[in-house]
Amino acid sequence: MSCSKFEIDIALYAGGDLPDGRIVRIESHLAECADCRALAEELRAGRALLSDLLDEPLEDAMLAQVRQRVMVDLGRAGFSRRSRLYWKLALAAALVLAAVLAWPRHSSKHAPAAPIARVEPSHVTPAPPVNIVPVRHRVVRRRRPAPAAQSGPPLLVQFVTDDPNIVIYWLVNQKPQGD
Amino acid sequence: MTAYPRENSGELAAFERIMSQCERRVLRVALRLLNNPQDAQDAAQEVFLRLYKHLGDLDETRGYEPWLYRVTVNVCRDIARGRRRSVGLAEVPDPVAPQPDAYHDAARAQQREIIRRGLSCLGEKERAALVLRDVEGLSTREVAGILGSSENTVRSQICSARLKLRDFTGRLLRRRS
Repeated sequence: MSCSKFEIDIALYAGGDLPDGRIVRIESHLAECADCRALAEELRAGRALLSDLLDEPLEDAMLAQVRQRVMVDLGRAGFSRRSRLYWKLALAAALVLAAVLAWPRHSSKHAPAAPIARVEPSHVTPAPPVNIVPVRHRVVRRRRPAPAAQSGPPLLVQFVTDDPNIVIYWLVNQKPQGD
Repeated sequence: MTAYPRENSGELAAFERIMSQCERRVLRVALRLLNNPQDAQDAAQEVFLRLYKHLGDLDETRGYEPWLYRVTVNVCRDIARGRRRSVGLAEVPDPVAPQPDAYHDAARAQQREIIRRGLSCLGEKERAALVLRDVEGLSTREVAGILGSSENTVRSQICSARLKLRDFTGRLLRRRS
C-alpha cells in the first residue's frame, strides 16, 4: 500500500479514537483512496467482531465453578482464622479455669475460719461479736500455713517393759482442742 | 494462606452482591486475555479473592469496575507469564461444514474463534488495551486509567493491535480460501 503513512490514523479513525484535528484530513484522504477505504472497512468489521465477543454467552457452569471455588477459599481462610480464634479462646478459658481452681484454695483456708470464728466466741466470752470476727479471721489465716506451730509439740509416750534394754517410745501429734 | 478481613455478614453480603454483578465481566475479560477457560477461571477466582481482601479499602462511590478491570488485567498477566503458550495459525480449528439451519450460528462461532486466536497472537499490553477498548467498550481515558498508561500510549497500542488483528484474520482467510 502506498498510503502506509495513513494506516495509523485510519486504525484510530475506524475505532473512533482519532483526535478531532486529524479527522478531516483522513476523511478527505479516504474520499479519494479506494485501498484506504477498504482498509477502514476491514478494521471496522474487525472491531464489530470484537464487540460481538461482548455478547458471547458464558457458560453458567463456569461462573458457578468460580463462585464455588471463591467461597470455598474464603471458607478455608475463615476456618483457619476461626481455629486460631478457638485456640486463643481455649487458652483464655484455661487461664480462667486455673484462676478459678486456685481461688478456692484461698477460700478453703477461709472456710474453716468461719466456724471457728462462730464457735469460739461462745466458748470464750460473751464479748461483742462485731469486733471479734474480723480479728479472728486474720488470725486463722496466719495460722493455717503453719499448722505444726498451732498443734504444739508432739506428745511423747514411753512404754517401759520388763527388759530394761527395751523401751518403746510413741510419738503422738496433739490436735488442737475443738477439732 | 492469605489473610482475609474479619468476616461479618454485611461485608460478605456486599461481596457476594459485587461478585454476582461483575463475575461475567471479569470472567469474560480473563477469557479474552488468556484464551483458556481453566486459566480464566483461575484468574477470576484470584480477582474475587483479592476483592474480598481489599473490600474495606475500596471506595464504593467510585465504583468497583475500574479496580476489578485493573486487577483482572494484572492477574491475567501474571498467569500468562507463568504459563506461556504460543498460539499460531496451525492451532485454529478448520471450519466444520455447518448444517444449513445452523449455518449462521456456525459462521459466527467461527468468526469468534478467529478473533480469539488473533487476540492471543497480540502482545499482552496491546491485547489488554484492545480488549478493554473494543470488546468492553471503555473509553480511551478509562483504559489508560486501568492500565496505568497515558491516553497516547493506549491509542498507539490499540492502533497497532487493530492492524495486527486485521493482518492475522486476512492471512487466515487467504490461507483457507
